[in-house]
Amino acid sequence: MSKFCDKVLCKIKEEKIEPKPKWHFLLKDYFVWLAFAVSLIVGALAFCVALSIILDNDWDIYRYLSLSPAKHILLSLPYIWIFAILLFLGLALYNYKHTKSGYRSGTFVVLGLSVVGSVVLGSVFHSLGMGRKIDRIFSQNIPLYQNVHCCCNRKDIWTQPEKGLLGGRILNIRKEDEFDIEDFGGIIWQIEKNNETLIRGPVLIIENEEVKLIGEKRTEKRFRAREIRPWAGK
Amino acid sequence: MLDKNNCSEKTDEELVALALKDQDFFACLVEKYEPKLMRYVRRISAATQEDAEDLLQEIFVKVYRNLNDFDPDLKFSSWIYRIAHNQVISHWRKTKVRPQVLKFEADEDFLKFIATDENLARDTERKFSGEEVRKMLENLDKKYKEVLVLKFLEGKDYKEISDILEKPLGTVATLINRAKKQFAKIVEEKNIKF
Repeated sequence: MSKFCDKVLCKIKEEKIEPKPKWHFLLKDYFVWLAFAVSLIVGALAFCVALSIILDNDWDIYRYLSLSPAKHILLSLPYIWIFAILLFLGLALYNYKHTKSGYRSGTFVVLGLSVVGSVVLGSVFHSLGMGRKIDRIFSQNIPLYQNVHCCCNRKDIWTQPEKGLLGGRILNIRKEDEFDIEDFGGIIWQIEKNNETLIRGPVLIIENEEVKLIGEKRTEKRFRAREIRPWAGK
Repeated sequence: MLDKNNCSEKTDEELVALALKDQDFFACLVEKYEPKLMRYVRRISAATQEDAEDLLQEIFVKVYRNLNDFDPDLKFSSWIYRIAHNQVISHWRKTKVRPQVLKFEADEDFLKFIATDENLARDTERKFSGEEVRKMLENLDKKYKEVLVLKFLEGKDYKEISDILEKPLGTVATLINRAKKQFAKIVEEKNIKF
């Protein structure tokens, strides 16, 4: 045995050095894989919320807002969710690269597969209605959420009766073609509708239902609806 | 008692399994890899013989501590070189004495290999003497020197280099190609005369 070999073995024996147990490494490896999976799932959730917001957005109302279509698109994109998608994709890549064999795959391959994974999983979550649910939970529980999730606060957009846009909660149904709503500023409006009023999607004219109205302001507290849309969706 | 002859008949993987049961068998791995790793450590660091020995001791202790982490999908030599490589880098970071220039130990085989490399000769339209190559290598980026050391000095193939440096195979191939190109560029730019 060489002198150096003796030295190494002496050190190991004197300092009572032992190999770390196998479970220590397995646990570490499982933890990295778990972190990768969590990053991918959270990224997919962010994708499904962004998808819901984009699909539910009223892309056709730029006319009422005196905006160009391009400016309306830029103001309506869910930036905070887009940022969350990018952040969790980055974390997924970081975690994958730190798995035992993660170095073998190229960065763009891992990133590409993470994007595909997030899109597929996010689309499944979206089809289960999770995007709208998360968006609603955030809106109800985080006061500034509406202001930060994109450049425009939806409630502000739909509180512009002079421009023909009004949103709020149905308080009561007066007659077949008349009902009251309370807008997001707490003002109560009498709404008129007629046979020509377009009722879009799964909207229900029942008490406590949140709706969006396109039409015209008739008097101080009266609004004629040409179109009624559900608050969530179109 | 450890039988040295017994050691040479066993594969690295078998020795790892035996060392986990009886630490005396770790001596077989130390004996086998000491000269190779000593050369490698000195090639990628500016360490003196004494410093390299201390570093090597730390490397073997780390290898022993992490024996259970050895993945049989890898060659044991790739795994132990990876630990050595990471330990040298970590040593540089700790002591903050990372050399700007890697010192290559005189290795005529390597110099001859590079100097007579056909692709390189084609790129630079000439062949080089060992001394010329040695001087030009000092101007190469660290990342290129690292792969050149492993490829030409340590005789590792692309897969082994990929496992040692923990980089994808494609990246290793690119690094080697770029190393050769940078080498050719240095020759052209500096018009090195010897």
